Amino acid sequence: MSTGLVLDGLCVRVGEKDVLRGIDLRVGAGEVHVIMGPNGSGKSTLAHALAGHPGYQVTAGRALLDGVDLLSLDPTERARHGLFLALQQPLDVPGVRPRDMLLAAGAVAEGLETRIEDEARRVGLRPDLLERFVNVGLSGGERKRAEVVQFGVLRPTIAVLDEIDSGLDVDALGAVARRLAAATSEWGCGLLAITHFRRLLSELRPDTIHVISGGRVVATGGPELAETLEREGYEPFRSH
Amino acid sequence: MPFALDVADALPTLGDAAARESALRAFEAAGLPTTRDEVWRYAPLERLDLDRVRPAVSAGVVPPSRLADAIASGSCAVVHTVDGFVVEQSTVPDGVRVTVAPPGATPLEGSSQERYAADAFALVNAALAPGALEIRIERDVVLEAPLVVVHHVSPGLAVAPRTHIVLERGAAATVVELLVGGAGSVVVPVGEYRLEANSSLRLVAYQRLAMDAWHVARTTAVIDRDARMSHSVLGLGAVYDRSRNDAELIATGARNELRTTYLGRADQVHDLRTRQFHRAARTTSVLLSKGAVDDASRSIYTGLIEIEHGARKTDARQTNHNLLLSPHAHADSVPNLDIRENDVVCAHASTVGPLDELQLWYLQSRGVSRDDAQRLMIQGFFAEMLDDLPSGVATSMEEDVAALLGGVEVSA
Repeated sequence: MSTGLVLDGLCVRVGEKDVLRGIDLRVGAGEVHVIMGPNGSGKSTLAHALAGHPGYQVTAGRALLDGVDLLSLDPTERARHGLFLALQQPLDVPGVRPRDMLLAAGAVAEGLETRIEDEARRVGLRPDLLERFVNVGLSGGERKRAEVVQFGVLRPTIAVLDEIDSGLDVDALGAVARRLAAATSEWGCGLLAITHFRRLLSELRPDTIHVISGGRVVATGGPELAETLEREGYEPFRSH
Repeated sequence: MPFALDVADALPTLGDAAARESALRAFEAAGLPTTRDEVWRYAPLERLDLDRVRPAVSAGVVPPSRLADAIASGSCAVVHTVDGFVVEQSTVPDGVRVTVAPPGATPLEGSSQERYAADAFALVNAALAPGALEIRIERDVVLEAPLVVVHHVSPGLAVAPRTHIVLERGAAATVVELLVGGAGSVVVPVGEYRLEANSSLRLVAYQRLAMDAWHVARTTAVIDRDARMSHSVLGLGAVYDRSRNDAELIATGARNELRTTYLGRADQVHDLRTRQFHRAARTTSVLLSKGAVDDASRSIYTGLIEIEHGARKTDARQTNHNLLLSPHAHADSVPNLDIRENDVVCAHASTVGPLDELQLWYLQSRGVSRDDAQRLMIQGFFAEMLDDLPSGVATSMEEDVAALLGGVEVSA
């Protein structure tokens, strides 16, 4: 059983700017955590840094997944160790087919087509959109769903979801959230979802909500925290 | 003079001696190019030793080729040439004629002598081509499956394949030409294509010669009213791979799409030359050249778009993307425009650089190793180029490229 993701004093610099200034977080197996926070608070930076995006420099701290420090691994090894990042703006890769990417990513070849089709159906994506090239010609919402198809095929230990809800209509959002939530019981997947919107919360039913502001976690609580945010905005939480 | 002795012996055997003599004299007058000629600047001509190769004077037997078999599966007809001689052909569908024309014949208007006046290698072809494989698709005949031509080349020869393709009015076909073999050989193919009004030709030239062969190819397409030529040129083999692809758009609505792709390894040179000549109004040309150079290889792309006065509403675009996979590799891109009409749309873009770091990272973040991510993306160059081909042909070529790149599995 996974012991989950533990972030310990994570500091990240982007260019000359210290964006994250000591993030502490703990997401256990099968748990659903949500990160909220004002624009520019460092939410996406956290997601990118965990997945080893070349533009983000970790200057201090640790990110343990099942006891292994992800920061000592290259992006491939992080993914192979069980980390998945669903990007806010998934990139297109002309010429590369999703199936080939998933195979090279370690997906079992046997029955792969069927699993891709099943996952596509679960999130309301036409399977034939996954027969051509990765994300090429797909709309924003289709790309988000394609990320969730990859998620379902690769079955990570922990998934970081960067605004998975943006660009999705209400029905698509419901389907995506249900698929993600089901993973927590199907294989004990831990979810760390970054969002601005409460609607995802009502679909995902998180155990814990964290508010990030000024590069730090300034509040952690249950679902009631989202209601406070809804009422009062981020102002009371801002770190000065 | 290179060839002088051997050719003198070869000419009587090949027949049409007078025409060959005349081509040979023109070749001798033109002489082999040197790297002082701008268009030959990057050719390792100092390493071209014509004394080492003998002209092919007789047909051999078709050697086994798994690649050829794979590409030919699902075709409507297959023609094999060995060292330029047509030696085997399957039955062809109704409305298709496959014949061997005398080497001096041409389906194009104008004189071949003028066309190839100063082109030494095309003149060698005229002197040595055993004959021209001529494929004619009759009026309004539409071929669903591709017609495959496999040119086999034996080691140590000078080989001059010649292919003529004529699409009569309203005809439509896909033709795949594969070049294989040729260790230490010098291969100088010439292609001439005539597309009559409303016809449509998809042509794939897949050059897969041995890594120490020389390949100097020249093709000319003449495209008539509302006809469409979609031409894919893929170069993988040969130490020097040169392909000059010209198109003349002679009447309104003519369209030429040319896509060239190459993968440079070791000290290969891929030298791509294009000329799109817009002679009529409302003609379109779309050029896309995309390739990758690794090790100490080099690529050159030189494209000329020429627009005649009066060719109004012409739309001509050329794009050239080069991937640098090694610090010792080199890519040059030289797009040229010669426009003698104001009312036209012309655009060109070119890039030279390494693989996109963010795309690599994206694939890595799914769990793909960096090496595999690179291979997938390079393969992707070819997959894009093959995207609109019949799937059997595309799959065989993609598998071939994948095997070459180190065994990343591709979609079946």
